Amino acid sequence: MKFASSEARRARPLLGTFVDITARGADETDLHRAIDRAFATIQRVDRLMSFHDSGSDVWRINRDGFPKGVIVHPWTWRVLTCAQEFSRKSNGVFDITIGRQLVKWDYLPKLGKRFGSGGSWRDIVLDNKRNVRFHRPLIVDLGGIAKGFAVDRAVEALKNNGVKAGIVNAGGDLRAFGSASQFVHLRHPAWPTRIAGAVRLRERAMATSGVYFERRKYRGKYVGPLLDGRTGQSGRDLISVSVAAAECMVADALTKIVFTLREKAADLLAQYHSDALLLERDGAPSWIFHSLCDTPDRIRFA
Amino acid sequence: MTQIPRWILPTAISVTVPLPSYAVQYLSVSQAQKLCFPEANQFVAAHVKFTPAQVKAIEAASGEKQLLRGQEIWRAMKGERLQGFFIVDYVIGKHLVIDYAVALSPEGRVKQIEILNYRESYGGEIRNPDWRKQFVGKTARSHFALNEGIANISGATLSCRHVTEGVRRVLATYEVCLK
Repeated sequence: MKFASSEARRARPLLGTFVDITARGADETDLHRAIDRAFATIQRVDRLMSFHDSGSDVWRINRDGFPKGVIVHPWTWRVLTCAQEFSRKSNGVFDITIGRQLVKWDYLPKLGKRFGSGGSWRDIVLDNKRNVRFHRPLIVDLGGIAKGFAVDRAVEALKNNGVKAGIVNAGGDLRAFGSASQFVHLRHPAWPTRIAGAVRLRERAMATSGVYFERRKYRGKYVGPLLDGRTGQSGRDLISVSVAAAECMVADALTKIVFTLREKAADLLAQYHSDALLLERDGAPSWIFHSLCDTPDRIRFA
Repeated sequence: MTQIPRWILPTAISVTVPLPSYAVQYLSVSQAQKLCFPEANQFVAAHVKFTPAQVKAIEAASGEKQLLRGQEIWRAMKGERLQGFFIVDYVIGKHLVIDYAVALSPEGRVKQIEILNYRESYGGEIRNPDWRKQFVGKTARSHFALNEGIANISGATLSCRHVTEGVRRVLATYEVCLK
């Protein structure tokens, strides 16, 4: 066996954040080539699932999902299918149609009246043959899940290009692969410029959601971009939720659910063999959940 | 860590970094040059020191403030053939400066963007001596490790907006100074 002797690390502005890729292997030139491929893959996900870009799948389904329906790329289809599964299992806490509220609060740009103003995930129909149709005009935003999917695809691209170990970090949604465990630091929920602690990850993805820099005022009240899909209300607490899972897409979606449901999300976490860590305003962990399945790779809270 | 050349620094702003920070050096200038233009065999420096008129034109074309007094630019050459331009630029991230490179095609289209140095400060709290004290005598195994100790941070939804704006300014610089 060849020993991993080189390391390459690069970052690019993608997905609205900084995407940071570390790859370890034998030959540096090969590592850089693999990283190039991984970035290209992320760019592809970005182009398909961007809320803003005219021509993205998301933009097209928001425009023509009602009443016509739109055929989407297999990747978009996978993310939509997964999102709907989480909506079903969380009874609507996770809901990709909360975009309308984010538009109202200025987190997302206004699209004009014809893009609809009501409805929920239940109004999305995923027909066979990758056709997406709405029962009524809707605004779908994949911001809560597509980043995780992009990380998974990037890891796949690295592996397909011969990288044995590494980590892909898209602004806090990350996935480590390879034999060595990785140390990942967590931001302080109330002081995002401080570190609250660290966890060890091995062959595992982790996503963290908090309000952090994103809190803003709307009609005199603080709001955040993390919403309870059932009520359209935002979580205002300065807490952070980290979820570790095999796939980053799953971790990404679950953080949003745990943010609202807290301990009540335990069953769902167990179903997905996921672990969760909830940090309170003071930076101290208030809830740690280890999935019931006995996996040797489970998250370790250092 | 690379030093920002003096001739580029805005007179009014100090960009030295005395505070503890999370910093990653991703690529050196020459590494990034080779990755952006693998086929090039020579990088010819063509640095520009802006005239006041150029600054105005760049600001007008990009809608962004031009604080730098000049720009580091290289022509990527394969023999006599121009492969494109390699431009190093600086933007303020959350608090500190981020160095990044933009590779342009000869026609001025963005080919590639690579972050060279990323720095993130620990904000105003650092001035508080009690906050500083936490770090005294901490080892690499500490949860509060600084600098090299922190390799990856989760929960970092830091926007790359400043870089996006910077690229707009670099494209305007191309229009004004290189075209």
